[in-house]
Amino acid sequence: MHQPVTTNPFIIMLINMTVVFIVLIALMYLIKLIHYIDPTKPKAKQEPTPAPVVQEVAVPVEVPKKNDDEVVAAIMAALSSIGEYGTVKAIRPINREGWKQSGRVQNMNF
Amino acid sequence: MEFINAFVVSLQSVWNDSGFASFTGGHGIMILVGLILLYLAIVKEFEPLLLGPIAFGCILANIPCTGFFGEEMNVMKAINFGIKFEIFPPLIFLGIGAMTDFSPLLARPITLMLGAAAQIGVFVALAGAMILGFSVHEAAAIGIIGGADGPTSIYLSTKLAPHLLGAIAVAAYSYMSLVPLIQPPVMMMLTSQKEREITMENLRPVTRFERIVFPIVATIFISLLLPSIAALLGCLMLGNLFRESGVMDRLSDTAQNALCNMVTIFLATGTGMTMSAESFLVKETLLIIVLGLVAFIGGTAGGLLLGKVMSKATGGKINPLIGSAGVSAVPMAARVSQMVGMKAKPGNYLLMHAMGPNVAGVIGTAVAAGTMLAMLK
Repeated sequence: MHQPVTTNPFIIMLINMTVVFIVLIALMYLIKLIHYIDPTKPKAKQEPTPAPVVQEVAVPVEVPKKNDDEVVAAIMAALSSIGEYGTVKAIRPINREGWKQSGRVQNMNF
Repeated sequence: MEFINAFVVSLQSVWNDSGFASFTGGHGIMILVGLILLYLAIVKEFEPLLLGPIAFGCILANIPCTGFFGEEMNVMKAINFGIKFEIFPPLIFLGIGAMTDFSPLLARPITLMLGAAAQIGVFVALAGAMILGFSVHEAAAIGIIGGADGPTSIYLSTKLAPHLLGAIAVAAYSYMSLVPLIQPPVMMMLTSQKEREITMENLRPVTRFERIVFPIVATIFISLLLPSIAALLGCLMLGNLFRESGVMDRLSDTAQNALCNMVTIFLATGTGMTMSAESFLVKETLLIIVLGLVAFIGGTAGGLLLGKVMSKATGGKINPLIGSAGVSAVPMAARVSQMVGMKAKPGNYLLMHAMGPNVAGVIGTAVAAGTMLAMLK
C-alpha cells in the first residue's frame, strides 16, 4: 500500500468523484454506441404500435361497483409492471371460458 | 482416595481446557451482540439471509479456545481464507449479475449519472472519517458503506483495512436492510409534491443484441481502466452474460441460485467470524456505524439532487425520486422510489425507471472502489 498524492479529504473526494463521473459518462456513450450500431433494432420510421390497453376500448365496465377501484388498480399494476402504460377507459370480461376449459383438460388426464 | 484425586484432576483439566475458563466480559458482550442481530434477522426479518449467518458467525468467533484461527487448517479457517483472499465477493457478484436485468439502464443510459451522483455519500463519509482521525485507507473502506453494496464493501475493506472488516460489513448490511426507513424522510425533504407526482414515459424496448453486447463491452472497458476491480466487475458481467445469452440457462440458474446461496452462507458466516471482541469492541466501531449512516444519507441526497437537476433539464420528464435508487441496494432502493412515488400519486409506477439508477449504482460503487484502490493501494 502506498500513500496517496494528497491527504486532503476534500481533494481526494473531488478527484474520486470526477473519476466516477468520467467512467460512467464514458459507459453511457458506449451504451449509446451499442444502440447505434445494433443491426437488430427495429426501424425508426416504424409507426409505434399503440398500447393494447387503450385499443381494447368497447363496452363500459360491468364489474360490480364495490370492487371497481381494486380491479382497475390491479389491472393497471399488472400492465405497468410489464412496462405498458395508458389510460383505462373500459374493462370488460373476455367471453372465454378459460377456467372451465382448463378444468376439462385436467380431467382428461386422469 | 486415589480415585477421587484422579477424578478431581481430570475435572480440573476439562475445566481449564474449556471455553468457560478463558471467557471474558468482551466475549459475553459480543455473544449478546450476536444474539441481538439474530433477533433482528429472525423476528424483525432485517436481511435475514445475511444477518442470520453473520450473527451466528459472531457468536462462534467469541467462543474461546476453539482454535479456529490457529496453525491447523479447519473449516472456519478455510471460510476465512475466502474472505481474506477476496474469493467470495466476486462469486456473489456472479450471482447478482445473473439476477440483474440491465434493460432499464440500457433503455435510458442517462440514469448512469444518477448512479454516479449517489456515490457522493461514499466520499462524504471518507472525508468525515479522515477528519475524525482515521487513516486514508481506513476512511476509504468506511466510506464505501455509502455504496450500499455488501460484497464491494467487504472487498475494499479486506484490501485496505482488514482489521475493520467486521464493523464495516455489519454497518453495510444493517443499513441496507434499513433502506426503507432511512431513505423516505430524505426523499420527502428534498423533493416537492409536484416533483414526486411526475409520471415518466415508457422505456424503449431493448434488443437482445444490446443486452448481450453490454456486459462484454463494459467488462473490457472498465477492467482496462481499473484493473483492480476486474474480478468484481468481470464476475458481475459474466453472470449477466449467462442470463442474457439465452444459451447458458443452466449456468445462469446455478449462478443465481445454488452458487449464490452457498457463497452467501460462507461470506456471511465468515464476516461474522471477523467480529471477535478484540477487534469489534473498540470506539472505532461506533464511529463507523455513525459514518455509515452519514454515507447512506449523503448518497441518497446526491442521487436526489442530480435527479432534480435532470428533471428541470428535461422539462419534467424525469421523476427525481428515481435518483435515490442510485445507492445500489438492489432492488430495495428501487422499491423505495416506487413506494414514495405511489404515495404521492397512486398509479405512478416508478419501479422499472428506478431500476436503471439502481443497477448503475452497483457499477458506480465498484468504480468508486476501483478509483480508491488505484489511488491508495
